Amino acid sequence: MMQTEEACSYMTFGAVMPFCKGCGHSNILKKLNDAMQMLHLDPMDVCLVTDIGCIGLADALFDKVHTVHTTHGRSTGFATGIAVADKVLAQKKLKTIVLIGDGGSMIGLLHIVNAALMNADVTVIVANNFLFGMTGGQTSSLTPEHFNTITSPFGSMNPSLDICSIADASKAGFIARKTATDKDLTQVIADAIAFGGFSIVEVLELCTEHGTKRNDLKGNMLAKMAEAEGHELGILKNDPLRKEFSLKYHDDVEVHKGEIKPLKFVEPLDNYNINRANGFVIAGSAGERVQSSAGMLSEASIKSGLNVTQKNDNPVTQGSGFSLSEVIISPNEINYTGVSSADYVIVVSENGLKELKGQKIFGRINDKTMFIVDESIDLGKEGLNVLSLPLRKYCGADKAALGAVDYIIRKFEPFPHEIFAGIIAKKFGEYGKIFKEGYYEL
Amino acid sequence: MYVRKYFPGNKNDSTMAVLTKKLALRSGNQMVAEGAIKAGCKFFAGYPITPASGIYKGLIDLLPVNDGIAVSSPDEISALAYCVGASMRGFKSMTATSGPGWALMIETVQYALITETPVVICVVQRLGPCTGGATQGGQGDILITEFATSGGFTIPVLYPSTAAECYEMTIEAFNWAEKYRTPVVLLSDKEIGMTTESIDYNALEDIKQVNREVIKHDDPMIDKWKMYGFDSPDMIAKFAEIGGKVKVTATGSAHNAMGNLKKNDPETISTIKHLEDKIQAHKDEMVRVKLDAEADAETLVISFGITARTMKDAVKLARSKGVKVSSLTIHSMFPIPEEAITSAAAECSRVIIAEENLNGQYRTMLAEILKLKEVIGVNSMGYMITPEDILERIMQ
Repeated sequence: MMQTEEACSYMTFGAVMPFCKGCGHSNILKKLNDAMQMLHLDPMDVCLVTDIGCIGLADALFDKVHTVHTTHGRSTGFATGIAVADKVLAQKKLKTIVLIGDGGSMIGLLHIVNAALMNADVTVIVANNFLFGMTGGQTSSLTPEHFNTITSPFGSMNPSLDICSIADASKAGFIARKTATDKDLTQVIADAIAFGGFSIVEVLELCTEHGTKRNDLKGNMLAKMAEAEGHELGILKNDPLRKEFSLKYHDDVEVHKGEIKPLKFVEPLDNYNINRANGFVIAGSAGERVQSSAGMLSEASIKSGLNVTQKNDNPVTQGSGFSLSEVIISPNEINYTGVSSADYVIVVSENGLKELKGQKIFGRINDKTMFIVDESIDLGKEGLNVLSLPLRKYCGADKAALGAVDYIIRKFEPFPHEIFAGIIAKKFGEYGKIFKEGYYEL
Repeated sequence: MYVRKYFPGNKNDSTMAVLTKKLALRSGNQMVAEGAIKAGCKFFAGYPITPASGIYKGLIDLLPVNDGIAVSSPDEISALAYCVGASMRGFKSMTATSGPGWALMIETVQYALITETPVVICVVQRLGPCTGGATQGGQGDILITEFATSGGFTIPVLYPSTAAECYEMTIEAFNWAEKYRTPVVLLSDKEIGMTTESIDYNALEDIKQVNREVIKHDDPMIDKWKMYGFDSPDMIAKFAEIGGKVKVTATGSAHNAMGNLKKNDPETISTIKHLEDKIQAHKDEMVRVKLDAEADAETLVISFGITARTMKDAVKLARSKGVKVSSLTIHSMFPIPEEAITSAAAECSRVIIAEENLNGQYRTMLAEILKLKEVIGVNSMGYMITPEDILERIMQ
């Protein structure tokens, strides 16, 4: 297929199409080239992203533009990254065009759906010849019902996917279904490329190697085939109202960036009373501030100048079952983050106790380990140093763990209590009113 | 010279004491996010997965106010595809996942490798196999991250063991990706990623950013430049950005130095082979280990990630009992720092390798280079190896 140099500004001059005689791909690619010419695109502002399959051979033909030949179905995914990066982070000039077959459009369906939902500035051209051509003519998800392929010798059992309806349901702004021989195909492809946001053009065509040989078909029957499947032809949607992704992103960032909290840092007081690591194990139920109480202990510890590790554990569902924290505070570097010989074990609920027993807590203590437990808890073991306190009664279920931590800091003072009191007061208000009166007399 | 210390000064060093401390409580995941910003990351695509989601959240918050963007993707395949696309456009990109997500990304990792596209993937390990245990730690993805390519090409893997090292090694991971034009895996695990710890920002190592060399249309060597060209094994071709004035020809299929699909072609085969050669040619500068050597030690303990911290405590305990023992923390898991390991083990008769997986994945990798030593594994599954577990083997 010889063409004049002028007519080939994006394609290799004199390129021979690698496709079978009569294959619609040649026409689609020529129309794509013409469409880019119609829009006077700078070839270096075009990125052609090609999928796997016969249509994916196109990248070798378009030697004047950037080409990215991808893995099967993933072309729209790569294109989304390219387009979003260009529009948000760079000059916003790029036209990103995906060439994908019917097979690839199903494997990569979620990439198409998400690009449409994002309204990324990507144009997807689906070259739909109703089968996998390169691998020998197998059925694809876009094969019409009753269509004969080598893997559907009695006719395809399933109806074909209406990819344009999927695009519509995904809020795509520009949707067209055409046939490869339509006279206005160039214009429609140009409109799709020019569209500011996601656009998709499904082009129906015949595979002359595998499609027409097994089915009594001619090119002019494509419209009837679409009709039989209930798939409408033409420009189905051209609605530029939704903002292209980067425009919305820039607006959102402009409005909301003040809400992003800066990172927090602490200047330590270097005021603590311990000369070795102290290990805390805090166990309770989800939703009762076990891990956040441990977090406040950690925060107070670094404020005092100590090193800290806080290791949390909970079931996969974050809002139910047990909740556990292991906190180590130390004037020295902390390596192993588990508490293997606890100084303090806090248990404020049965859920917490059950989990601790599962984690063999009684093998991770020493003679001096202090158990601070809610009065409702029976540890079921003799010979332990236990302080049984009405924590849930005086502190409430949601602050029982916090009360226990506060109690330890108050009584054993690994660092000055006012540091911890200050931190919890910042969150819950005046220290003397966080818990019920009786608590402060414990 | 193969043994490099990450922290030039010990934190208790008198030279460090004069600095005021700037402390914060951070998780490893948060420090990966902050390290990415410091490294110049401009694009992140994320899909939630425990225990890696903290990195996603961290960068969703940090990137918009650091001239970048973080997007939510509909799955892990898209996440990495978006990142590779953004990197091809010219921006440093990253995603983060755990074992199940990595399984989905493997196709795209290979794509990044063969197209020589810089990208960083942080894999925060959890208990496997399959969806395994989302909130349980593990170190079972060492081999599946490394051997993710058909053909067995080396994917550089870095593995910090503290939150501070997460920050430093994220920068290093980006630097490697940029310099060697390759995907780089930053390995982490649940216990590093989700555990918060105190970090002194004033003691963090200041690692300089490395940026990929980009080919310009007016480059004096432009006529000789090829997308994947090389004159020597150590050469990394300058990177062409999509949207720049030098045409990009990228393909995941076997291609010649120009990027054109070619079959049965010696140039194509050598272009593929170069993917491995370029890493091997630079492996000496990719060694990141910390050796704590004791004179006349009979035993060397090797570990990495969360278990390296446990190892340090075990070694301290053993020494307090008068046992001479050395330890080696490995950060640059792949390419395997063979000389650093053999030299650390040279005077020892026994090597103990501690890792939280079933069969000693890294131990199998070291079998050849340690074949003259007695090699002992300390392994666990479903729970963290304790200092006592390692101590027991040291004392035997």
